[in-house]
Amino acid sequence: MTRYIVKRTFYALVVVWAVATLVFFMLRAVPGDPFQAMLADVDPEAAVALRHKLGLDRPTYIQYLLWFGRLFQGDMGNSIYGSNQAVSQIIREAFPRTIALASLAFIASLVLAISAGIISAVKKHSLLDHIFTLAAFLGLSMPDFWMGILLIIVFAVRLHWLPAIGYVPLSKGFWPWFSHLLMPAIAAGTPFSAIIARMTRSAMLEVLKTDYIKVARAKGLQERTVIFVHALKNALIPVVTVMGIAFALLMSGTVIVENVFAIQGLGRVLIQGILNRDYPVVQGAILVVSVIFVFTNLLVDILYTVIDPRIRYE
Amino acid sequence: MWHRFNRHAREELEWAYDFDPKDPLFGLSRSDLRGPKLSRRTVLRLMAAAGLLSLSDVLVACAPAATPQAGTAPQAAATQAKAGGVLKCGWAGTGEIQTLDPAQISQVLEFQIASNVLGGLTHINPDLTAEGDLATDWDVSEDGLEWTFHLRQGVTFHNGDPFTADDVIFTYNRSKDPNQSIHSRALANIVDVQKIDDYTVKIVLAKPQASLLVKTLERSSGRAMTIVNRRALKEMGPEKYGLMPVGTGPFKVVQHQLGQGVVLERFENYYDPERPKLDKVVITPIPEPEPLAAAIEAGDIQLIGGNPPAAELIDRFVSNPDLVVSQITGPGFQALWINPWRDPYKVTDFNKPIEELKKEKGFMVRLAIAKAIDRDDFIKRALFGRGQPAFGAVNPAMRFYFDTSINETSEQRFDPEEARRLLAEAGYPDGKGFPTLKLMVTPAGKREGEIIVDILKKNLGITVELDIKDFPVLIEHFDSMNFDLLRVGSGGDYDPDDALVDWMETSSKFNGPKRDKEKMPFGFFSDKEVDDLVEQERVEVDLNRRKELVQKANKITSDKVAAAFLFHPMDILVYRKEVYYPDESRIPGLVDLDRVTLD
Repeated sequence: MTRYIVKRTFYALVVVWAVATLVFFMLRAVPGDPFQAMLADVDPEAAVALRHKLGLDRPTYIQYLLWFGRLFQGDMGNSIYGSNQAVSQIIREAFPRTIALASLAFIASLVLAISAGIISAVKKHSLLDHIFTLAAFLGLSMPDFWMGILLIIVFAVRLHWLPAIGYVPLSKGFWPWFSHLLMPAIAAGTPFSAIIARMTRSAMLEVLKTDYIKVARAKGLQERTVIFVHALKNALIPVVTVMGIAFALLMSGTVIVENVFAIQGLGRVLIQGILNRDYPVVQGAILVVSVIFVFTNLLVDILYTVIDPRIRYE
Repeated sequence: MWHRFNRHAREELEWAYDFDPKDPLFGLSRSDLRGPKLSRRTVLRLMAAAGLLSLSDVLVACAPAATPQAGTAPQAAATQAKAGGVLKCGWAGTGEIQTLDPAQISQVLEFQIASNVLGGLTHINPDLTAEGDLATDWDVSEDGLEWTFHLRQGVTFHNGDPFTADDVIFTYNRSKDPNQSIHSRALANIVDVQKIDDYTVKIVLAKPQASLLVKTLERSSGRAMTIVNRRALKEMGPEKYGLMPVGTGPFKVVQHQLGQGVVLERFENYYDPERPKLDKVVITPIPEPEPLAAAIEAGDIQLIGGNPPAAELIDRFVSNPDLVVSQITGPGFQALWINPWRDPYKVTDFNKPIEELKKEKGFMVRLAIAKAIDRDDFIKRALFGRGQPAFGAVNPAMRFYFDTSINETSEQRFDPEEARRLLAEAGYPDGKGFPTLKLMVTPAGKREGEIIVDILKKNLGITVELDIKDFPVLIEHFDSMNFDLLRVGSGGDYDPDDALVDWMETSSKFNGPKRDKEKMPFGFFSDKEVDDLVEQERVEVDLNRRKELVQKANKITSDKVAAAFLFHPMDILVYRKEVYYPDESRIPGLVDLDRVTLD
């Protein structure tokens, strides 16, 4: 097992390296020069000086080697714009916002989805099942930005219950933090919640039909034990896969929801960087996102063995 | 409206331009130019001489319009509002305030904030008086080359450092270095800045420079000489200083997290004990229009700063009794560019007389497109009425230079029948056989693009498809003349040169600088007569003569369709009715909060 984890970690690092390298060269191949775009407001002499200072006047492969060398010292370079903030600083500030939003969205969607999924499966074709099914399809088909705006109009503009936009760090108190994140978390989590609920339902239905469940019931186990210990555990494997993807997607930034609620998370940093052709920022943000993706996947694979001890990695 | 000059203003303007250009003091006496305050007349004259008077026109124009257009609550009641309170602002058009270091600021939405935090030697008020900000008074030599400034004593920086002549010199040395500042060129005419004593500095110029007091030394839009703090820069380094600059302004930055926004607090030791009124200002960047609107409607924010709010929101704001919408003429133009190197509107020589050009099929198509655009309809649908029809690059905020009859005299004036006739004569009756064109727009310009597409379909029967590109890509296509039709324009044009020299000369910096010069001898437009006129007007000292030259050049670019000109934008400020935003702070483009109070 340890050997497996070491091996997978090594592969994961290779994937991250490949992504980072690909992005590095692709970015420079994409049309659009940041210095050309900013030239209207900047003295040409200053633009040349800045290009030199950031090392962007060197051949691409030298830039690549330098970037990689510095990366090992924890230096991701500096933004081309403004006061040339360190990319690590930009990401350090954006990341907690994304983590907070993603975790809240993830937890909320998980709790909702799994309970809805179980109830739907156990009480198949009941009224509750139909309501959950309808809700899941609504959640899936409503775009998150539309849902976000709807929430803002109802709960912020009309009812004044929650703040419309922005983010407040947890250090300012639980309620300010929570009240700012609640609507974005619902908007971001709903589509995943819908998918996970459907997955849970179908996986549970599958398992509930199997012989060992019949046996469990026949030997007089409590229904609760049958469902939660025997059925759910076995039904979770496909659900965990989807959960892993959902978590990675949420963590890498929910751009649209961040936009709607004016939360400058990782997703917005990345998009803004791409729009501005701010190479160092995009490289840094993609690096972080790919690390999250690859390692979440690894974590999910390890989780399988915990849920189902029959799964062994050699 | 812009064409309604009042007589007094006209006399004032004529006086401003009436001086001997060879006089190093611009026809003013030394006592006129002496601080602590410049009269409105003096500022007008200096702006006229510096070619900046269009800025003053904007300011003059703004005064009456600054009265609230919406919100029935009488503002007079609010004047009694007490000092104190927290003002929550949303900053439109950005996800983060990238820098507040004046040496690095390239965006209006940044120096709007910096103007509240840092000081300069002078500051211009909307009533066109210039005040000494960190200078109490000043004097000028007979030859107009040596300016002696007496600095305000007892001014402290936010970190407690006293403000002295050394800070002026430090700022100058920093700003003229292109490695440290993006505004080094603005100081090119300054030969030396000398310290006479702790509270006296002398600025020595190479040539007399009228813009010195009203632009270069101005604290907000000037930026090059906005005073920075030596110790803080050294201790914090430029990156951190860019987030939380230490200055002498009415507010100090107490918090700035990228993407989170900026928190300003009242600076207790500001040199004017009457200001600022507010205790605290919280600035949150809000990139998207819909959340911005929701936030001000819900009262989460009370004032919108930054870029002008999206056009589609303005009517909604005006009809909301909780909000005040203040609109003034903005300086700029927006146009539809037509690539003269592509069929079916190919024109390889604009130098021919207009009558001859009108016989060329390529030119007929260009003119047909320009004439088919119903500006009023476009402005109504794309901008919800917030804009003025454009027929040239010179904008109405440059009132003195603006040709008020160009909407009637230009060959581009709206005439759909004539447009269809031209198109038919060029071989495309009712648009039959006309190739499908691509119109390049930015994602933000999509609605405007769609309306152009619709208008051209309706009036000419031709098909245009949108080609949406990010701004850096669009600019590259524009610079290399690689497009059919393209939407881009200009803002912050206070002087005719900002329009003509930057855009309409063969050698203009935006006129296809990256094109293949073998295949394309010029970019989007080139006319010998326009080049000559612009070369004359930029050095013409007789301002009535200059106006003639400017209008003539502008008219030719309009007639020969250098672009299909679309509209001139507006400057719009929106705030909630509990905010009292005094007229004396309503400077176009700025959001000075030192006199703002809350009810």
